[in-house]
Amino acid sequence: MKPNGLIPDEWLVSYAAGALSEAHALLVATHAEYHPELKDKIQEAEDIGGAIVNDVEPVSLSNDALDNVLARLDTTPAEKHSVTDQEIKTSTLPRPLADYINCDLTDLKWRMMGPGMSQVRLWTGPDDERLWLLKARGGTEIPKHDHSGNEMTLVLKGGYKVGEHHYTVGQIELADSETTEHQPVIDQGEDCVCLVVTEAPIKLHSFIGKMIQPFIGL
Amino acid sequence: MQTINAKIDIQTIPSHGHVPERLTRQKPSVKHCDISNRKGLLVTSKPTSDKVTHEDLVLKIARERDRFAFKQVFAHFAPRVKSYLLKLGLDDHKAEDLAQDVLVTVWIKAEQFDPKKAKLSTWIFRISRNKFIDLTRKQKYPEVNADDHLTDMVAPEETDRPVEAMQTASIVSSAMTKLNPDQQRVIKLSFYEEMSHSEISAHLSLPLGTVKSRIRMAFQALRRELGEKE
Repeated sequence: MKPNGLIPDEWLVSYAAGALSEAHALLVATHAEYHPELKDKIQEAEDIGGAIVNDVEPVSLSNDALDNVLARLDTTPAEKHSVTDQEIKTSTLPRPLADYINCDLTDLKWRMMGPGMSQVRLWTGPDDERLWLLKARGGTEIPKHDHSGNEMTLVLKGGYKVGEHHYTVGQIELADSETTEHQPVIDQGEDCVCLVVTEAPIKLHSFIGKMIQPFIGL
Repeated sequence: MQTINAKIDIQTIPSHGHVPERLTRQKPSVKHCDISNRKGLLVTSKPTSDKVTHEDLVLKIARERDRFAFKQVFAHFAPRVKSYLLKLGLDDHKAEDLAQDVLVTVWIKAEQFDPKKAKLSTWIFRISRNKFIDLTRKQKYPEVNADDHLTDMVAPEETDRPVEAMQTASIVSSAMTKLNPDQQRVIKLSFYEEMSHSEISAHLSLPLGTVKSRIRMAFQALRRELGEKE
């Protein structure tokens, strides 16, 4: 598939179904914030869920179900409009990510991972799936590597090139085990910040790359 | 703001699962949807024939904290949400508790529901999905912020939109039945088993790429079907 920087539909469907891991769900939700058309598609996919709920064979509830719920209504005040509207306006990050890290990018503890590169690990799941943020200085060349699993990279700031393809803010790059000799080059100028989900450790090519791999945590 | 000009006979509201069967599924004509979605709610319209949709009822809850409206929403959705949660694999006790939670949330968040932005069934599905994930994975499912700003509340007398919304829910169901069996299977494994692409791939012994393209094709077919109907 030709990369257009948008995530393929199957991920939107799986997001809607609730079938994505925490890392992938966050990446998809954050990505969709940049593209209203993706939000619309997600909603269409969630309509499938709505239709399922509407059409499922109803089952009986316990006899006191309604009374229980009614009693709880007395003690639960109505929630007004989205609580965090105010905070969100002050954050430059897309809302799902802002909610998730609950601070600004500069408040995070960035760890050096190589020349011009630093990272923050956000989450590690089963099978060593990882969600992390990558920050790279303008002009940095990321060490050449292959992938043994899927990697999804969402650009939050700046941009980078892989061969002919230029990835800019809001776009996603997908790399899988067929992606070899992967060597992103960060655009000159401002820092590039990406949200990344890595499904399996990537394989670095160079000797120095292999040496630093345990330290940089890729 | 006017109140809904319709009287609802509480006796006919199924509250403990004795919900009549859906009238028909084969032909989702406008008329059928209209009836089937209001099953059990005998709406005796007053002079004008304003009909009450579940969307209207939630707006009424939002505006007036109307318990009577809530009971009707509960009667329709609680037994279905519980059923869906059972299909997702919860035991009876947990499904019951979570279904009750979902309906309490409908009450709490009623003001955030906007029928111009989402169908009620979709909104309730989202609440159910997120609560299910919260419970089973101890994780907050990252939400796509579909409601950037709450727009003006739709007055219940503008019944056009909500009625249409309910119809679309049934159109989705009928479109589902038109998918080929392979496509139906991947959609069901996604929505009923919450399986990831690689889990479906292992489960069906299919290459990952095949699973992805099947989900994509199924979704395209559904969107095409919906596009034609709209």
